[in-house]
Amino acid sequence: MSQELTYEQALEKLDEKLKLLEDGDLSLEDALKAVDEARVYLKICTERLEAAKRKIEVRPEE
Amino acid sequence: MIRPEEAPRPFTVTELANEIRRELRPLTAVLLKGEVTGMKRGAAGHFNFTIQDGLSKLEAVLFADAARRVTTLPEDGQVFVFRGRIDFFGKTGRLSFIVDQVEFDDVGKLRARLEELKRRLEAEGAFAPSRKRKLPYIPKAVALLTSPTGAVIHDLQQTIWDRFPNMSVVVYPVQVQGAAAPASISRALRRCNEESLADVVVIARGGGSFEEMFAFNNEVIARAILASRLPVVTALGHTSDRTVADMVADAECRTPTEAGARVVPKKADLLIQLTERGRRLERERDRRLAREVERLQARRERLLQVLPSLMRTRMERLVRARADLARLSPVQQVARRAEALRERGRRLDAAAAARLARSLSTLTSRRAEERLERALTARFGAATRALDHRRQRLIALSPESVLSRGYSITQDGATGAVLRSASDTAAGRKLRIRLAAGRVGASVDEVEP
Repeated sequence: MSQELTYEQALEKLDEKLKLLEDGDLSLEDALKAVDEARVYLKICTERLEAAKRKIEVRPEE
Repeated sequence: MIRPEEAPRPFTVTELANEIRRELRPLTAVLLKGEVTGMKRGAAGHFNFTIQDGLSKLEAVLFADAARRVTTLPEDGQVFVFRGRIDFFGKTGRLSFIVDQVEFDDVGKLRARLEELKRRLEAEGAFAPSRKRKLPYIPKAVALLTSPTGAVIHDLQQTIWDRFPNMSVVVYPVQVQGAAAPASISRALRRCNEESLADVVVIARGGGSFEEMFAFNNEVIARAILASRLPVVTALGHTSDRTVADMVADAECRTPTEAGARVVPKKADLLIQLTERGRRLERERDRRLAREVERLQARRERLLQVLPSLMRTRMERLVRARADLARLSPVQQVARRAEALRERGRRLDAAAAARLARSLSTLTSRRAEERLERALTARFGAATRALDHRRQRLIALSPESVLSRGYSITQDGATGAVLRSASDTAAGRKLRIRLAAGRVGASVDEVEP
């Protein structure tokens, strides 16, 4: 699964998986797979939130 | 003015030049209206041009630091109201108007030009919502293009960090007012895109009058915003007029606070949303598993129900199969056939023997009957005759015929021996006497030998 996803993309994927699960048409294997994938997306989202390091940089005019 | 007769000696040129400068000093903060011609940019960042009114002309200079401050740079053929002072340069012997502010002479005309620019940009589709770049959901960093001094930068940082405490901010100090602002902002925008330290740009200033904001109506800034790869958000303060920069920007905000809220989501909200999704995920998983357990349980119960009969039929089939197998096994088949053959052989033998015996006996009995019949037929008369003869002889010879003549036969009662002599018996013995008709039992009284 791509670690290059942005927060928004990962969130979208997470919602897709959630919707799939809630629709309840998945086989057990697919459902468990969807849960695993959704967890990865959830993790990516959480990581993205924490990834930024608060800093301020001033770029004076050249 | 110094009158020549009062001078004890002649002025040197420098002295007179200095005198002229001193005399001209009261002519400061002069407002001068005129048309610009011969606009030239000097190497030191200053501008030289001529201000004229058709009858007279004055040389003018706009020094570099004033050029950065002025609302707009003079353009050839345009009429402006200049504020400045008169100075005399001894070195060149020229009198110049030193400009420190340039005002539009005719705001109405300026607005007309602005409308023309807007129409042009509109026709290009520069304002079309479809052209606008999407702001990142969560930027990796926010670039701030603003004056490094002032409250704007503080307000923006505060808003951003209140919402997203670990968000990075990259500040590009720019001039947000005056003639130098368009070039300054355009340069900074280009750098933002080149350096890619941030993925969204906020151009901010603290509002101002039409003239103060005029830099943001400059086509140079509009083009720079349009050319930006990164989405640009304007936050130019509370003004009644939308600037061209606002119109081409990807998002338009009034205050720095609004812009901060626009470019950065509230982290706490996102965390709540994520937690909620996490809970939904667990719930869905649990629900799915519970359903599966239920389904399994139902199947197990059904299985338990059908298992006994299933086993029974299976067992029966197994037994049948074993019997079939035994029956169908070649050894068994051969053995069985051999036995069947033997059995048939035995039955054949028995049948044959029986049949033979029957034939034989039939044959034998038939022959005997024939002979007997023949013998009987042949011999019947003779036999009858012989029989008669013998019967006669028997009658004649039978003791019983003697008995009829009055004789009797005495026998010992115990032994049955015929007594022929008195000595054959003794007194007291029992006798049996056979008569022609019947018998008599008697006892011996005496014997006379």
